Amino acid sequence: MFQALRTDNSPFTSQQIELLQSSLVSLDAAQAAWLSGYIAGRLSTSSELNLPLAAPAAETSAQQKFHVFYASQTGTGEGIAGDLATQLQQAGWSVELQNMGSVRPAQLKKLTHVAIVISTHGEGDPPDDAIDWFDYLQGPRAPRLESLNFTVLALGDRSYEKYCEAGKKLEALLLATGARAYSNRVDCDLDYAANAIQWSGQVLGYAREQQAPADQSAKRGVAQHLSVVPSHELGAGAWSRTRPFKATLERVQKITALESDKHVYHLELSLADSGIAYQPGDALGVWAYNNHEVVSSILARLNIAADAEIELEGHVHSAHEVLVRHREITRLSADTVQAYAAASGQVGLQNRFDALDAQERRAFIEQRQFIDLVDEYPPVEGSVVRLDTLAEILRPLAPRSYSIASSRATVDEEVHLTVATLYSNAIGVERKGVASAYLNHHLQAGDEVGVFLESNKRFRLPENRHTPIILVAAGTGIAPYRAFLQQLEQEEANTPVWLIFGNPHLRTDFLYQREWLEWRQKGLLQHIDCAFSRDQAEKVYVQHIVRQQGERLDQWLRNDARIYLCGGLAMGKDVEQAVQDVLAEQRGLAAEAAAEAFAELRRQGRILKDLY
Amino acid sequence: MAEAANKLTPVEGIKARSRLLRGTLLESLADSATGALAEDDTQLSKFHGFYQQDDRDVRDERRRQMLEPDHQFMIRARVPGGICTPRQWLAMDAIAAEHANGTIRLTTRQAFQLHGVVKRRLKPTIKAINDSLLDTIAACGDVNRNVMSTVLPEKSALHRRVFDDARAVSNHLTPHTRAYAEIWLDGEKLTGEAAAQEHEPIYGATYLPRKFKMSFAIPPRNDVDAFAHDLSFIAIVEAGELTGYNVAVGGGMGVTHGDPKTYPRLATVVGFCLPEQVLQVSEAIVKIQRDAGDRTDRKHARLKYTLDDRGEAWLHEQLKQHLGYDLGAPREYHFTHTGDQLGWQQTDDGLWHLGLFIENGRVKDVAGNRQLSGLRAIAQVLKGEFRLTPNQNVVVSRVADEDRAEIDEIVASHGLDSWNRLSLIRQHALACVGFPTCGLAMAESERYLPELVGRIEALLEKHRLLDQAITIRMTGCPNGCARPYLSEIGLVGKGPGLYNLHLGAAFNGTRLNSLFRESVQENDVLEVLDRLFADYAAGRNDQEHFGDFLLRQGLLSHSTHSTQIQPPIQTSAQTRPVNGQQVSS
Repeated sequence: MFQALRTDNSPFTSQQIELLQSSLVSLDAAQAAWLSGYIAGRLSTSSELNLPLAAPAAETSAQQKFHVFYASQTGTGEGIAGDLATQLQQAGWSVELQNMGSVRPAQLKKLTHVAIVISTHGEGDPPDDAIDWFDYLQGPRAPRLESLNFTVLALGDRSYEKYCEAGKKLEALLLATGARAYSNRVDCDLDYAANAIQWSGQVLGYAREQQAPADQSAKRGVAQHLSVVPSHELGAGAWSRTRPFKATLERVQKITALESDKHVYHLELSLADSGIAYQPGDALGVWAYNNHEVVSSILARLNIAADAEIELEGHVHSAHEVLVRHREITRLSADTVQAYAAASGQVGLQNRFDALDAQERRAFIEQRQFIDLVDEYPPVEGSVVRLDTLAEILRPLAPRSYSIASSRATVDEEVHLTVATLYSNAIGVERKGVASAYLNHHLQAGDEVGVFLESNKRFRLPENRHTPIILVAAGTGIAPYRAFLQQLEQEEANTPVWLIFGNPHLRTDFLYQREWLEWRQKGLLQHIDCAFSRDQAEKVYVQHIVRQQGERLDQWLRNDARIYLCGGLAMGKDVEQAVQDVLAEQRGLAAEAAAEAFAELRRQGRILKDLY
Repeated sequence: MAEAANKLTPVEGIKARSRLLRGTLLESLADSATGALAEDDTQLSKFHGFYQQDDRDVRDERRRQMLEPDHQFMIRARVPGGICTPRQWLAMDAIAAEHANGTIRLTTRQAFQLHGVVKRRLKPTIKAINDSLLDTIAACGDVNRNVMSTVLPEKSALHRRVFDDARAVSNHLTPHTRAYAEIWLDGEKLTGEAAAQEHEPIYGATYLPRKFKMSFAIPPRNDVDAFAHDLSFIAIVEAGELTGYNVAVGGGMGVTHGDPKTYPRLATVVGFCLPEQVLQVSEAIVKIQRDAGDRTDRKHARLKYTLDDRGEAWLHEQLKQHLGYDLGAPREYHFTHTGDQLGWQQTDDGLWHLGLFIENGRVKDVAGNRQLSGLRAIAQVLKGEFRLTPNQNVVVSRVADEDRAEIDEIVASHGLDSWNRLSLIRQHALACVGFPTCGLAMAESERYLPELVGRIEALLEKHRLLDQAITIRMTGCPNGCARPYLSEIGLVGKGPGLYNLHLGAAFNGTRLNSLFRESVQENDVLEVLDRLFADYAAGRNDQEHFGDFLLRQGLLSHSTHSTQIQPPIQTSAQTRPVNGQQVSS
């Protein structure tokens, strides 16, 4: 099953080949898949950024290089960029794969062939790592980049009004410098896989046209062995978004008290024999399915028989199955609303939606699930929404992503998640989010659920375990910090740790409280400061703690501390502002200088974010 | 063994390190990550008047939820002699609603208890209590606690005279530390020289080895259970005047299951003192216990053990040293009962007093029985005062004749008139708090006793005994908050649904009961009582109380009728003198 290794097709000595061959032939398929993941996982964590895929011997000029850049708050963009880099390398290119945050934008002037993967956050914001690029490209020192050829893959979520805004804006800014887009920008919704493959194909097509003949054979051998499996899936063994591992749910435990308004659950899943080697800071993709009753209601309202059949991507499915397993019915998008209005003949819906401004549209979409739309605006007399139309109206179901709340050092082959049940009842009907409902309320211990690793190298513990870390979280944002502490506890590391946590009530909502208190007792945690917003008349949030503890925060930052932020986007912004305020106050800086000091922390990789 | 026995208890170390009760209480209050105090501070908090507890009903559930126990605090406000003004009552009512669980509990020591106060509410609660001119300092802890005093002697001037003595002793023995004011009342913090100079003139830096309880009784009423305290003053009235007090020393209820070294003990009447000697005598006895009490074993630290270990002669020597004089010989006195008289009564000054029944002392509003609202309404019109009784009831006191109708109306409309409908056994029932908040509880108490009394009432009815007053007391553990060893029927919790059944104390509180059945369930209790009630109904003498009857029948073997509460395990502690017999009864 293995192509024989030789000294002329691999980087190994004959002695190493002998050892490797004898080991490899003894492996079965699963073991081999696991090993490939294991090695890739080691590679992917051995150098944090700037993975040089090219063999050192391949000295080429910058002109001959292909640069693949990425910037995203999660590991998705990096994964896609990594795959592309591998493929380009296989095609004989010398490739630089880099996080935008580690590249000075002025270097763009020297580059020729570029591909960029960039995500969008909140209301059209670029990820942190791209901020310097945007400032540069739209600032007074914006360069002319006539020799630059580029393309952009934009990652986004269609349920937001400013869909893929950062990607669109980056493309426009680059075009304004005189750079040439060698292929169209591609925008990706949550279900990004097909579009990403299409975009990568465009890049490879362009690359072939530009093909430089030099050094191809020398590099190919190395590249082939690195790219048996796309790199962003390697860390997860052979499992991927499209081929998830069936994890067994072992325990579901509510971890907010009975009286709490929050319904947060702790889930333990078994990854036994999967080879999924996650790191603290990583996320787990979870395939969750829609509620059967809600699906039945939708089909009944639209007069579609549950067993009506439809072909999707070469497979025949029942209508019920399509809505349960393949289509998004909990998160609406503007496209879905408009397409449904058209198909159902609902001029009323169309008019109402058209009349809304961007903010109102966002609210309209957030407050409703598809069932609410159908309930409120059933098809008018004479209009029929057919199953194939319905399948087009609705976006493909995308998996949900959760920050992992455990470290393998402690839980071995388990993975723990912290999942809040999302409720929306703004229009008077209580609805649950797809994944939280599925995980917390539908599945039972012993059931299986499809999962895959979403590596997030941008949210790791410091390599240097003496670097102090300040962990700021609201709500379930505390999950990855539990993984951090489990890891540090097993390592018996002396990392100074300071937890700042916010939620509504101390009595009911301090997630994993016993563990934090125990870690503090053992000396693993130096400080815990909590903001329980509703325990007193005036609301107190984590950013208030940051300001209150300004002196300590400044001291920690002077000791090279990193700040981690995990939770909602708004919380992230508020805390960043609070940190700037602290810098201003403690160091006597003007607002602008404090902002620059903060930007410097960001550039140093000391502000780490996992926001959603 | 000897080495271990000489080692001071950990609590002694906590006290010694605490800088006169400061410890790290301020840091504990500021800790936003937990509803609890630091462990050492949970000992010190008692001296400030509050206990850390948690809702034990949800303890297991919260453990699974990875949440800490549902920490909350019981705060006790001192009410010397049980007397509080209507304004103070209204303050407690408002504080209970704003900071606690909305109920007020009247304790067996004539104090107020608030339950369910969370940590961040401690300071505003304690501050508000002090603003009402009550306080919480020394309501718990190894100090002299709330000083009790008989509630309603027929002579009001005498009552006031004795109450004044009780209050004076209470003030005299209140700790002097500034820690209380610093922590709760925003008092200025002592620093430097002033901090170094600060000291406790009576207690010293480590306070007492264990809690210290005092009462003042005015015979023939023994509502304070004079023999259940470390120190009691029994008023001697001759020709209508207070001539002095008999001094009773070494009473105490606390026992540990299965530990025969521990036992309840009736106080021994050791002498007589003049009213003006009360402060000196009480201070001397506190100091004697401070120096001689056992600080190596908290189960053996009460004055009762010191006295039994050293003997009465030793005590007299010590007293002589401290006082410079001997106590006089005890005078004659006579107790008739421990319970309260409910309903209206008039004192010699012409004022009226209305005793109201509060089941287990829990003042709350329930459908058809809005006692909390009713007492609030009374407090709003009352020109006199409230008196909290040692039996968890309340007396609306010093009501002029013309104001009675208004009070009666409020009482009737709020279901506060239950005393005239309730059986005598229910009126004489006491229960401690127990589950779910008390950390010591082994079995239900307050939540269960009313139910059990209902079943016992059925038996009494069957045997035509409903008109007979019988004392019944239940505690969730053997520590004795409701003084269960002084009741005719005593039930002491051992485990969920399991109680030790004690029988045969004197109705007037001068004889302890005896362990009759160990670790029994309700069925066994009812079966035993059914049989004994039948015997009692058939064989009692005129006016003979249930406990006295049982003793006379020989149902309680002579060797077990007093201090022997533990199951019969052979130890020297089993054969001590019968303290109850020294009391005239």
